[in-house]
Amino acid sequence: MGNSIAASGYTFVLEERKEVSGEDLGLLQEKLLQLNWGVQHPASGPMRLKVWVDGDEVVKVDPDIGYVLRLLEKLVEYRTWINAIVNVERACFMDDFGTMAGYSIAAEKIAGVEVPKKADYVRTILCEAGRIVSHLLGLGGIVGVLGVHTPTQWALIAREKFLDAFEVYSGQRIATSSIVPGGVRFEPTGKFIEKMVTAVDFLEKEFIPRYGEVFIDNPTLKIRTVGIGKVSKEKAVEIGLAGPALRASGVPSDVRKDYPYAAYGELDFKVVTREEGDAYARYLVLWEEIQESAKIIRQAIEGLPEGDYRTKFPVKVPPGEAYVNVEWARGCFGFHLISDGGTGPYRLKMRAPSFANVWALPEIMKNVKLADVPVIFASLYMCHGDIDR
Amino acid sequence: MEAWLKALLFPGFVFLLIVFLMIFYLERKVLADVHLRTGPFYVGKWGLLQTTADVFKLLQKEFVIQRRANKLLFSLIPFVAFIMVVMMVAFIPFSERSWVVSTSFDLLMVLALVTGMSPVFFYAGWVSRSKYSFIGGLRVVNQMISGEIPLWLSALAAAVFFGTLNFIEIVHKSSLVSFIVLLPAFLIFTTAALIISDRPPFDIPEAEQEVVYGFLTEFGGFNYMILVLSKLIELFAIFSVGVILFLGGFKGPILPGIVWFFIKLALLYLFTFVVRASTPRIRMDQLLRFCWKVLTPLALLNLVFVILVKMFIS
Repeated sequence: MGNSIAASGYTFVLEERKEVSGEDLGLLQEKLLQLNWGVQHPASGPMRLKVWVDGDEVVKVDPDIGYVLRLLEKLVEYRTWINAIVNVERACFMDDFGTMAGYSIAAEKIAGVEVPKKADYVRTILCEAGRIVSHLLGLGGIVGVLGVHTPTQWALIAREKFLDAFEVYSGQRIATSSIVPGGVRFEPTGKFIEKMVTAVDFLEKEFIPRYGEVFIDNPTLKIRTVGIGKVSKEKAVEIGLAGPALRASGVPSDVRKDYPYAAYGELDFKVVTREEGDAYARYLVLWEEIQESAKIIRQAIEGLPEGDYRTKFPVKVPPGEAYVNVEWARGCFGFHLISDGGTGPYRLKMRAPSFANVWALPEIMKNVKLADVPVIFASLYMCHGDIDR
Repeated sequence: MEAWLKALLFPGFVFLLIVFLMIFYLERKVLADVHLRTGPFYVGKWGLLQTTADVFKLLQKEFVIQRRANKLLFSLIPFVAFIMVVMMVAFIPFSERSWVVSTSFDLLMVLALVTGMSPVFFYAGWVSRSKYSFIGGLRVVNQMISGEIPLWLSALAAAVFFGTLNFIEIVHKSSLVSFIVLLPAFLIFTTAALIISDRPPFDIPEAEQEVVYGFLTEFGGFNYMILVLSKLIELFAIFSVGVILFLGGFKGPILPGIVWFFIKLALLYLFTFVVRASTPRIRMDQLLRFCWKVLTPLALLNLVFVILVKMFIS
């Protein structure tokens, strides 16, 4: 057949025009319909999923990425050690502190710089606030693809309070450029701490009770998400899921606990895991991690030590290599940084968790309904900026 | 009033247009309230003219017809849909004297026209010749057929109880007893109304995140406005029938009949808005299972119940 392609055990009939007695039958003649789920689609974001459907059943999906490629890794090579953070933080706008912290720790490792204790604590506060901000959007996103925009709106209100704190701290609400090699860029003033406590208070006293009442045990939400996109523990390790998606399958993998960085070693928190491994479990992992993060912020604010918030970072860093993992909002983010003794990084390779999750899509989306595609997609909790970098 | 004035002004076209702008405004305000937002605010007093402004924005838009689409049908379908739903409203008595036509088979006419809407919406998706429209068209037929049977059965249960199909007679015969006896039918009717008019959580044919906008995907500007308006009017007509059959229509103390009618209607609408703000969309196969395994048997049992009650009363 000229218009069909046999690939990976499937035969795909391409779109064609066949005329029967002068009438174009159009779409009815096609056994398999290829839908372009993206790039311009209400729920896809800037990436494309080629979805082949047979009636309402999804036969195969094929992710097509690269629409927001910004060459961040290459751009870093033209920056100085400090300046490079502006490129690193743009991996994803939702949680930029995690990436900055990872890059800074890698740079400090090569340069042999010891960071003051206070900087570690401020980094922890900022990273956890970034995680909350990101998870709030993720929660809203999962219910949002089911046609209800209330969670998104509620989450955005809680998010605004954190952005207010970031604004007081750095002057910017989203791209804060606040964590640099050698510490943090700004003094954590009393006003910042006050704003952060207000935000956490709002989250714990207003957002969590209100949201938990309506959208956690929601029966319709359960109908749609329980048992959808199920990934077993072994499978999750095999296909290399990351972050909340991995923890939802029962793998207690968390860099904060396993290889503590910043001030995480001194704080008390637990790694949230779920055994079910379906979309609802991933949703609940996000939900519980928000509460854990709020606790971490409170502890870090209480234990905030006195002293310097930044040490001098050398202009030229001796040659060397470092690989650092940090627990970013969407999973384990790896930084492989190489220095050749110059004023800036020689090469930076970022290992992105969302990129790992994208390639789990074809595995997970087998024999599901078309309506499950957005649910699984949103529950894997990916960031497009992070996929393409 | 002259008959043609009735059809044009009250309770005809102009009146309906204002009612829809207000319902749309109310929907946005209620949703905004649940979202903890302000909603429409700047255009007019309390943002009352925002929906009007939106309609005029849509009127200015370019008339886009997809290259592969069937041009005649593509332009015709919105108007067919509009005429069909407007015919439904003609039968509805908003008060003792405000109706356009009143026959002895009002209920039957409205239900028949509601049933006639599903092929129209299917054709809207079909003539667009677009994949998403096509899937949306198939879904709308699936959904409406499954929803119409409970709708017919529960509405006819009321007709059996009252012994007439004329809306004004039904309103006159309604009482507290009829409300209590028809309460199960009312619940089935409301659910079925949400299903066949694609309201959340049953907005499967227009599921934005799955099939973009279903059969409405390729429509734009004026055509789009007319199609969306006809969907709104369809729901309005079905809810009005619900008010007449189960809630006593324009009956009520002190206030004039038309006010009572719209208070009851607003309560039903409020219910749909809150459901929309809090209930995720369900899946097609789940909806079909619900319709055929739960709603239709319940509607049949309810009909049996109403017939038994009727036997004992008369």
